[in-house]
Amino acid sequence: MFPVSRFRVEDESMRPALEPGDYVLVNRWAYRVRPPSPGDLIVVVDPEVPTRYLVKRVSETFGPRGVRVTGDNEAVSRDSRTFGPVALERIIGKVWLRLKR
Amino acid sequence: MSLLHSLARALDRISPAPIAYAHCDIPCGIYDPHHAQLAAHTVIRMIDLINQLEKPGPNATPEQRQEYTAKLARYVLVKEQHAEIAKNELRILWGDYFKPDHVKTFPELNDLVWKTLKTASKARQEINLQAAEDLLKGTNDIASIFWKTKGLETITTKAPYPTERQTVYPRMK
Repeated sequence: MFPVSRFRVEDESMRPALEPGDYVLVNRWAYRVRPPSPGDLIVVVDPEVPTRYLVKRVSETFGPRGVRVTGDNEAVSRDSRTFGPVALERIIGKVWLRLKR
Repeated sequence: MSLLHSLARALDRISPAPIAYAHCDIPCGIYDPHHAQLAAHTVIRMIDLINQLEKPGPNATPEQRQEYTAKLARYVLVKEQHAEIAKNELRILWGDYFKPDHVKTFPELNDLVWKTLKTASKARQEINLQAAEDLLKGTNDIASIFWKTKGLETITTKAPYPTERQTVYPRMK
């Protein structure tokens, strides 16, 4: 599998770090060498709707068990406050580059 | 727009990028189509009251005319307010609650909401029982979709108000 994937951003919970319409390049291998750390921007499989992806920021890590994610725009974000921690195997990768709209 | 962004967009034509949602929702969003249904019932009730109102004849006294005019004005005012409440409630459901996934599952949704808003305007402007009935039907159809998106079955039964029209309610688990 090619280590870099491209995603298009929708919705506003990561403003101003990511705006709707931006693209992000995601490094799928980032966490092979070291675990996620708070502050990382990551793309995960939505725990509530497994056919779609979310882009959020890691707010807390629980070692091998998973991470908590939150949107930067907390007032409107749907994130770990609603669906709880996200297991590591649901992480697609780390946002490596933002292609600003 | 950056060059890289343009490049990524061009790549989309060959193979579209999956979407990563910076998903927005005020946690525990509280929505319910019942407000719109209730407002539609009120519009029907006001039209019934207007139609039942005895119109002053050629020999009516000024007091009788005044009483008629005052009652009519009140019914019309409430009718218009509640048609507007129905429109506002429908806009909230449409703009805030319903998501593209819902429209995929219920492709008729956008057109249904749009037509119901138009009907609400008609019910507001005119003393038109059919428009009010259509407004209630539209809000019922939207309520039915709303409860399905919540995973709840619905029942259609006579409302316990003077209007007694068929109304869609969720069957709570």
